[in-house]
Amino acid sequence: MTAVMELSDALAGAVARASGSVLAVHGRRRLPSTGVHWRAGLVVTANHTVEPDREVTLTAPDGRTLSARVAGRDPGLDIAVLRAEVESMPAADVADDGELRVGHLVLALGVGPRASAGIISALDVRGGRQPAGEVLAVDLTLYPGFSGGPLIDVRGRVVGITTSGVSRHLQCAIRAGAVGRLVEQVVRGGRIPRAYLGVGTQAVELPEPLRDRLSLAQRTAVIVLNIRSDGPAGAAGVVIGDLIVAIDGHAITEPEDLVAVLRPDRVGQVVAVSILRGGEPRELRVTVGERPQRA
Amino acid sequence: MSVLSAPEALPPHLAEIADRLRQVTVEIYSTRGCAAGILWAPDLIVTNAHVARGPRVLVRLADDRRVDAHLVTADRRADLAVLRMPRCEVAPAALADSDAVRVGALVVALGHPLGLRRTLTAGVVHAVSPPRPDGRRWIQADLRLAPGNSGGPLADTAGHVIGINTMIAGGLALAIPINDVRRFVASTPATVT
Repeated sequence: MTAVMELSDALAGAVARASGSVLAVHGRRRLPSTGVHWRAGLVVTANHTVEPDREVTLTAPDGRTLSARVAGRDPGLDIAVLRAEVESMPAADVADDGELRVGHLVLALGVGPRASAGIISALDVRGGRQPAGEVLAVDLTLYPGFSGGPLIDVRGRVVGITTSGVSRHLQCAIRAGAVGRLVEQVVRGGRIPRAYLGVGTQAVELPEPLRDRLSLAQRTAVIVLNIRSDGPAGAAGVVIGDLIVAIDGHAITEPEDLVAVLRPDRVGQVVAVSILRGGEPRELRVTVGERPQRA
Repeated sequence: MSVLSAPEALPPHLAEIADRLRQVTVEIYSTRGCAAGILWAPDLIVTNAHVARGPRVLVRLADDRRVDAHLVTADRRADLAVLRMPRCEVAPAALADSDAVRVGALVVALGHPLGLRRTLTAGVVHAVSPPRPDGRRWIQADLRLAPGNSGGPLADTAGHVIGINTMIAGGLALAIPINDVRRFVASTPATVT
């Protein structure tokens, strides 16, 4: 047996091993998506494939139909965590994804099993916007219905959840570590909290002289256009017209950066919000709140 | 995975498989351009019916010899055809058991995509579809094919042919399992030699 034949066998074995914890998720009108039994009773899938206010069912590898309930969503990472009676099937073997490197061989799986192969092409899609690098770029084809399915390494261990929902141009996977943190929040608190400042913002260009005077590398920041007086930012003294340039040292260049920085685990924490008011820099301490539930 | 036309870029063993497959993959020329065929026996070629249109076609062998081949049989529904040509001295293709194909296994395709002759493409088995009501089924591969791959081999890492590349659908390569091709050839009385 040659090395290539061994590799081929290893890949087929990895698919067989991992597909035992892969389910079909029926949460939207079109074709079903894919989900992974992450740990006892909790299934992870791509948030964009589970429509709001919709009954969700799962199809297990043995063909059984199970009902599921959305336990938490993180639209920022495009992850939804579902609760279902899936204890009889094995939970995924989740890998410590700190070992991942650009160029590593990976497979994306769909229900069936179906497989697609390629490599890790980048460890941080958002170019440093998220310090931990929670989104991987993969050089493989995500076929229709693959979103929410596992990205596995050559040993069949889950290193991420694939999704076509976080980038228009790239095929992406949310790192297993980031998914695990969201699942942990569901286990502990029964839900995934959404961080909240209580401001509405828009990107604005920073004038060149101002950037020079304050030695700012970023070309844009966000301007506060409306504010809830009872919200966390309002309570900390942020007013309409303030420019938010950074939070805890992470540059804020557009409103999406706020979503990226204010991860669910920041709820309840105090962050340093760097603002410009009347051209003068200030720093305000803001306690990140939790977004009120939709009525 | 993308088209790999330079064998040097591959590990030595894959390059050997590519060389071996090149020996048993022929070029078939018709009014519709160039497609592929598999050397099944010293004087027999198996390809797709949509490739072998007309009673006679021009075939170019791996050693660049050009020979005339005539159609023995074709089945449009199965999209398979058998051609006979003068005997050549090349050992025919080695065949695998396509029922043993596993999802995720590495596979390679040899053909002439867009006229790029004798090109190797690599990927993995995407799925093995269950038989349809008419008994037909496909090996689906996550592998990039283009017109000109039709009729050519899909092979495993031993270089054994597991299917005949026939269609592209939704970016996937669809191949007729080689066990189905075996049955088709065996049911053709004229091929008994």
